[in-house]
Amino acid sequence: MFHNSSQKKYWIFKSEDELEHMRCKANQKFRNKALESGKKPGVSESMFLQRHEEDVLFRHYERRLLEFCNAFKPTMPKSVVGTALMYFRRFYLSNSVMEYHPRIIMLTCTYLACKVDEFNVSCTQFVGNLVQETPAGQERVLEQILEYELLLIQQLNFHLVVHNPYRPMEGLLIDLKTRYPTLESPESLRKTADDFLTQAAMTDAGLLFSPSQIALTAILNSASRAGLNMESYLTQCLGLKEEKETLSKMYDSMRRMKTLLKKYEPPKLEEVNISKQRLERIHAEFASSSNKRKRGYEEDGHVAKEPRLVEEVRQANIILSLTFVCCWFVLNNSF
Amino acid sequence: MDEQGCPRCKTTKYRNPSLKLMVNVCGHTLCENCVEMLFVRGSSNCVQCDTPLRKSNFRVQLFEDPTVDKEVEIRKKVLKIYNKRDFDFPSLREYNDYLEQVEDIVYNLTNNVDVENTKLRMEQYQRENRDVIQRNKAKLTREQEELEELLLQEQQSNEQRRLEVLQEEQRQLQAKRKNKQALLDELVRCTRCMAVCMCNDKSSDAISELHYDRCSMSDRQTVSLQPVTKIEDVLYHYRPLQVETYGPPVPELEQLGRLGYLNHVRAAVTQDTAGGYTSGLACYRAIQDAFSGLFPLRG
Repeated sequence: MFHNSSQKKYWIFKSEDELEHMRCKANQKFRNKALESGKKPGVSESMFLQRHEEDVLFRHYERRLLEFCNAFKPTMPKSVVGTALMYFRRFYLSNSVMEYHPRIIMLTCTYLACKVDEFNVSCTQFVGNLVQETPAGQERVLEQILEYELLLIQQLNFHLVVHNPYRPMEGLLIDLKTRYPTLESPESLRKTADDFLTQAAMTDAGLLFSPSQIALTAILNSASRAGLNMESYLTQCLGLKEEKETLSKMYDSMRRMKTLLKKYEPPKLEEVNISKQRLERIHAEFASSSNKRKRGYEEDGHVAKEPRLVEEVRQANIILSLTFVCCWFVLNNSF
Repeated sequence: MDEQGCPRCKTTKYRNPSLKLMVNVCGHTLCENCVEMLFVRGSSNCVQCDTPLRKSNFRVQLFEDPTVDKEVEIRKKVLKIYNKRDFDFPSLREYNDYLEQVEDIVYNLTNNVDVENTKLRMEQYQRENRDVIQRNKAKLTREQEELEELLLQEQQSNEQRRLEVLQEEQRQLQAKRKNKQALLDELVRCTRCMAVCMCNDKSSDAISELHYDRCSMSDRQTVSLQPVTKIEDVLYHYRPLQVETYGPPVPELEQLGRLGYLNHVRAAVTQDTAGGYTSGLACYRAIQDAFSGLFPLRG
């Protein structure tokens, strides 16, 4: 349950400032590392991405992630999408987009979310959903995903269980139907509440509030949009008549959440393109460091994955030797 | 045993001691794998003597020398036909002559001496003594049945003996227990011990020692009774587990139906209930998730 989960203990923060602080720290960390590692000519401070550019890219790739999940065959359940988005967000809380390209991390997050949420897709089926790539390209992507998977899990601090607001929303609707007859048709609130939740997943709401609070805000928001007053639900059914302080705090958090959602704006195309170019340049520049990391993994031994080529050569060898043995037997038999 | 290799693939018999050799009617051996490979079509020629053979005629070799196996097979077949018994003959001399005849036939067939004549003789004998052969066959089956009966009887008697031993053991255990009980009864009846047993034992050790001495002296018990030390401890008091959910209280799983929650959940299909699922479970989980962490976390 959420109240004794790792999400509540380690991944719920007090304010948006804290989150911003963490992201700045990640940005700074990468800058220091890059400057230290190679005093190459052409590397200058101005090459690095600023915070707002990183943000633009993050939002852009988040959208791509959402589109990928929505176009996924077979249909991905909402909880898997929510988990993948949360992983993506948590990863880039302590890492910079300049260090790990979001294109791969986004796919790794989805892959891991499928596994954790027990939405069973084989890896080939998964990369088969990348329709714009050739099968060889898909293979390469799969290799990259498998390389980054362990890194992702590590950066999530091995806290893989994510509580999404979808089930709390169902629970609240059931509760409304049972205990709150004043509201005639709670089902009419469902659609708007769903939209609210999808929008909330694209903001930092998941890192600041508990999923049940997000669900409650969604329902209250859609009720107020429809012009219905649900104050009495909070005071009567949830037993908050006496607890004025708790009630005011809850209203406060709901207001904060709504502001978060309002503040969200989809990234503009030109900005995205400019930032992408700069990102590609940074990655090209520091690609050597990432290669070293890959080799480092294999040398470690426990992340040793044989590259596909060697595997194929080995298989070819086995087939050849088998044919030789068969020939030998056939020859012997004829005697 | 393992020095004898398969004549075809030679090496594999040493490498694989579990591999079996098979013998055919011509007396030559082949290992199992070679049989499989050569007789894949069902019939082929023998490797060493080139006689046409069938795969079904291969039998697992029991003796070291394949010729012995061959002879055993031939003997079985011959004795099916020549199955006269000793009481069929008027005198011992004639019985011995008959036996010598049989041995000749077996020898001829085994060593491929005069095979056609021998076979002709066998057929002739078979034709002449057909009814005798039948009679003896029937007698043979009867004898086998009698043997089986004897075996059964032996088994039964074994079982009985085993049961008796078990019962004897049980009786002994019971006798032991009765003895113990009698001992305890004696102790209780003993008048000097009565007072000791009734009193509250604060100084239990001293009293039980005294008790022990007196008992041993007066009643001449041979059993040693160790004083049992009593351990006083705080009584366990059950306190139910308190879990902080940071939210409104959740109704119990059993109350959900009564409170009307289950009307708003999809009812369980018979397939689901077979596995133990009830609609209450999903409802309870949704409500739990909805209420968990609803109130602000700090304060």
